[in-house]
Amino acid sequence: MKAKHEDAVVKLTSVFFQYEEKVVLENINFSLERGDFVGIVGPNGSGKSTLMKLLLGLLPATKGTVELFGQPLSKFRDWSKIGYVAQQVAHGAGGFPATVREVVASGLVGKVGLFRRLQGKHHQKVEEVVERVGLTEKLDQRIGNLSGGQLQRVFIARALVAEPELLILDEPTVGVDQESIEQFYELLRSLKEENGMTMMIVSHDVGVMTQWVNKVACLQRKLHFHGSAHDFAHNHDKILQQMYGDSIKMLAHHH
Amino acid sequence: MLADWWQYDFLRYTLFSGILIGLICPILGTFLIVRRLSMMADGLSHVTLSGVAAGMLISKKIALFQAVNPLFFGMLFSVIGSLFIERLRKVYKSYQDLAIPIILSTGLGLFTVLISIAKGFNTDLYSYLFGKIVTVSKEDLYALIGVAAVVLGTVFLIYKELFAVSFDEEFARVSGVARRSINLWFMVLVALTIAASMRIVGVLLISALITLPVAASLQIAGSFRQTILYAIVFAETSVLAGLYFAYLLDWASGGTIVLVAVSILLIVLGVKKIKAALR
Repeated sequence: MKAKHEDAVVKLTSVFFQYEEKVVLENINFSLERGDFVGIVGPNGSGKSTLMKLLLGLLPATKGTVELFGQPLSKFRDWSKIGYVAQQVAHGAGGFPATVREVVASGLVGKVGLFRRLQGKHHQKVEEVVERVGLTEKLDQRIGNLSGGQLQRVFIARALVAEPELLILDEPTVGVDQESIEQFYELLRSLKEENGMTMMIVSHDVGVMTQWVNKVACLQRKLHFHGSAHDFAHNHDKILQQMYGDSIKMLAHHH
Repeated sequence: MLADWWQYDFLRYTLFSGILIGLICPILGTFLIVRRLSMMADGLSHVTLSGVAAGMLISKKIALFQAVNPLFFGMLFSVIGSLFIERLRKVYKSYQDLAIPIILSTGLGLFTVLISIAKGFNTDLYSYLFGKIVTVSKEDLYALIGVAAVVLGTVFLIYKELFAVSFDEEFARVSGVARRSINLWFMVLVALTIAASMRIVGVLLISALITLPVAASLQIAGSFRQTILYAIVFAETSVLAGLYFAYLLDWASGGTIVLVAVSILLIVLGVKKIKAALR
């Protein structure tokens, strides 16, 4: 069944997630429309990673339904429509003996399919994407020789190479220097504007991210939408204070 | 001396077997090492050993199995062991390397018990432990050709999946790669390779041929493909030089091969250090 255009890209209905006795996510209702650029903020332990894993099918929801492109998660097979950039610190890939080219090409694994080898057009696509993230000079370098910001761009290129319709980024700016963060959001903005890509960023870095996204939601076991990023930016000290108490202040003040 | 290698059947079998082992061990080894599973080969080789002992015991006690090569029992045990390891890795998610000592000691325990039941074997167990040139039979070679064909075919067909799963298992999973099946099949291949290589390198030294050439290669390779290629070159050099010297000097073949592989590793490390100092 092909997804209809009007279907939400992601739709969570009354989703609960419980780990042993602890309720990690409570009654999450959330949908992502085409072209949305949504930021989900929340402190550590608020259930951000869990939410992300649920909608990538890495964890099963305790209750409720998750739909991707109009199909329930259990029937969804079109994984190349989704590009995923994981938290970099968790990866620790620096020592792996692979080049930028090899890592980016691995993003095509699902799209090309089992038993098929990469062809000329695939290699060309890899080079295009690497150019887009500005790493053409590093194409055949081992990833161990790259800086944190460059490695981050390699992972974005890997997620983009299969031409996904939805890009999901988990804490994309952790371990990335200030200048690279600017470049990184510029890149996301151009992807949204030129390719109409739907994007979702999960981060605890409230300050920088909320300046770029156009919708903000706060997560603390439950999800609270706060409409446009513009509204959020004006009231965010108050909103965060209400939601999280003092614990978030440290994070919110470094922009 | 060199002409002997063509003149005598057993030397030819050894030579061909050596070339095949030198090809498949470093390929599988590269994937094992980058996934931090290099000890897996050790665990499986001990299970293989218990399989060989079981095979010998059965052929000694039951006439029907007399003609069956103990190698096939080694393979059978090794494959069962690999399935068990995958199972254990799932049970102990945060202590994945715990599977290795469990499987290793099980294999060794079973091996010693089987020997004691048999009250010793006529066959030279030493050759299974450390490898011996004269013990390679035509049947052993055929088994190895079969295993090598499957390993090379697999790597050719699912190279990109193997790379993706090795580099980033979570990403591979999100990309829709059947990572469970791939992991399982890969472990079965490692198990078969270990059993099939046993005659030449010996059970206790096979993991050296899987890891040492890759260790040297990692130091100098510029890409993942190069890591595999250099590892093959180092492994083939180790096997060919090792077999030559083992025959010439009447040394144990497995040990000689491993010593050559260690020498290559030391040379690579040394050259790298000198280069760094000169810069």
